[in-house]
Amino acid sequence: MKLVRLATLTCLSCLLALIIGCSQQPVQQKAGEKAAPAKTSQLDTILKRGVIKVGFDTFKPWAMKNKNGEYIGFEIDVAKKLAEDMGVQVEFVPTKWSGIIPALLTGKFDIIIGGMSITPQRNLKVNFSIPYEFSGMSVVASKKLAGGRTMASEFNNPATTVAVRLGTTAAEVTKNFLPKAKILFFDEESQTIQELLNERVHAVVASNPLPMNLAKEYPDQLFLPFKEDFTREPISFAVKKGDPDFLNWLNNWVLYTSSKGWLQNRYEYWFYTNEWENQIQ
Amino acid sequence: MPTIHKTRIRITLLDAAILAALAGLFGFIAYKAVTGLNYHWNWSVIPQFLLRFDEPTQSWKPGLLTLGLFATIRLSIWSGLLAISLGTLIGFFRVSRSLFKRLIAGTYVGLIRNTPPLVLIFIFYFFIGDQIMTLLHMDNFIYAMNPETKDVLSYLFGPMNRFPQFVSALITLALFEAAYIAEIVRAGIESIDPGQWEASTGTGMTKAQAMRHVIFPQAIQRMLPALAGQFISIVKDSAIVSVISIEELTFQAQQLMTTTYRSFEIWTLVFVMYFILTFLCSLAVRRLELTMKRD
Repeated sequence: MKLVRLATLTCLSCLLALIIGCSQQPVQQKAGEKAAPAKTSQLDTILKRGVIKVGFDTFKPWAMKNKNGEYIGFEIDVAKKLAEDMGVQVEFVPTKWSGIIPALLTGKFDIIIGGMSITPQRNLKVNFSIPYEFSGMSVVASKKLAGGRTMASEFNNPATTVAVRLGTTAAEVTKNFLPKAKILFFDEESQTIQELLNERVHAVVASNPLPMNLAKEYPDQLFLPFKEDFTREPISFAVKKGDPDFLNWLNNWVLYTSSKGWLQNRYEYWFYTNEWENQIQ
Repeated sequence: MPTIHKTRIRITLLDAAILAALAGLFGFIAYKAVTGLNYHWNWSVIPQFLLRFDEPTQSWKPGLLTLGLFATIRLSIWSGLLAISLGTLIGFFRVSRSLFKRLIAGTYVGLIRNTPPLVLIFIFYFFIGDQIMTLLHMDNFIYAMNPETKDVLSYLFGPMNRFPQFVSALITLALFEAAYIAEIVRAGIESIDPGQWEASTGTGMTKAQAMRHVIFPQAIQRMLPALAGQFISIVKDSAIVSVISIEELTFQAQQLMTTTYRSFEIWTLVFVMYFILTFLCSLAVRRLELTMKRD
């Protein structure tokens, strides 16, 4: 009995030592960095592995699942092209939007290619490449509840309720533009739309082309109160901090690919046509 | 054949009235759902999520929700097995004579049962799961695997490129459920009359022998209904790992809703799928209980 207890105690203390050892590793690395700045870039890790792991969440038409269970969409095209130019395979890691940055930081994937727009808060935690696209925020409103409103000020009062998707820039934009309105947060875009169609909220704030498409799909119930998008947000790749080599490669990839017109072409296809719609329904 | 009490079912006026009232209520809810909600119902898009015809290979393939259901079943079975092994061990620790073991098991059960599962899942996934995965070098192991092995393993564990996540979710779910199973095991063992202990040690058995040959076989019969309930719970709780991007039924459903905006149809279908799965489990366990009673 004593032997068992002794053995258990030894095991436990070993485990404890291991945990402490593991948690101290980063500190040692940091000390090492000062002496020798050459740290292996994530780029090298990807090339060695032969696979780039891409984090994203489903967002129509950025990334969607088609009927066969494959991912399609603007971001998916971008990720595939990126991998092709890097000479590696691509692996998609769908991740809930609200937990996507922690997942990047804990190494669940190498890069976020998911229509992520740059914000200072996000930038404190991750590094962004130069933008490869811009997305505009827009409002779609219920005709019954908010018919005839065409000014932001008309939505900015405590009697107005707005639904947005949690963790998106739409949530931040709404807080800034409509500080007095009541905001409801939902985990999924489809839930916000449902609230709007059921006339429980006056409007939904989301990045285009969602509001545009919704207004087209439900012309009797919904309308677009504003003529123009009220933001123009830079969309970038997000990677872990402290990796200038990877970032440099990404920046130049964006410059090169836009110079060839490829990015604009894909953007047009996914955002302004609906040729792909029969692939998902 | 076991003698099952068969009484003739007689429908009285009261039964008929209650049935009619229930039918009316559900009919009313259904009517409200169709007319009251501002929603374009479109059930025609739904069947393809269950079963679809694959053009290139000219064959029928499981649809996205069916794939999600398979993932849920895989996850439930593996985490169920793991949770039962771990839970039994902790359960034995709970009734151990050693104070040290009792304290360890007590801390574990107390810690898990008194924290919300969602929080636990996040903590396990981001901290503990990660530590384990890096320690095992799971990534390199999978990339180095040959395709045949991958095919075989993917039947058991789902797509191999998502294996580390799957294992992470598996461990998380198992650790979580094991705490409840440990309590079921403890209750089962403690419910056995102390006289059984005395009688078996009286015949010269050691404590361990008494546990193995006398106490545990009796306890397991009492534990079975509760364990079955817990397994059904595992099936349902597996939905929670959708927050850490495991592509099980709930996650697939949410992804489909984001792309097709057919929320109500998909949720209804998912509801039915979960019900069928867990109801079949309940029936199977009922069978098992009857068999054990007969023995």
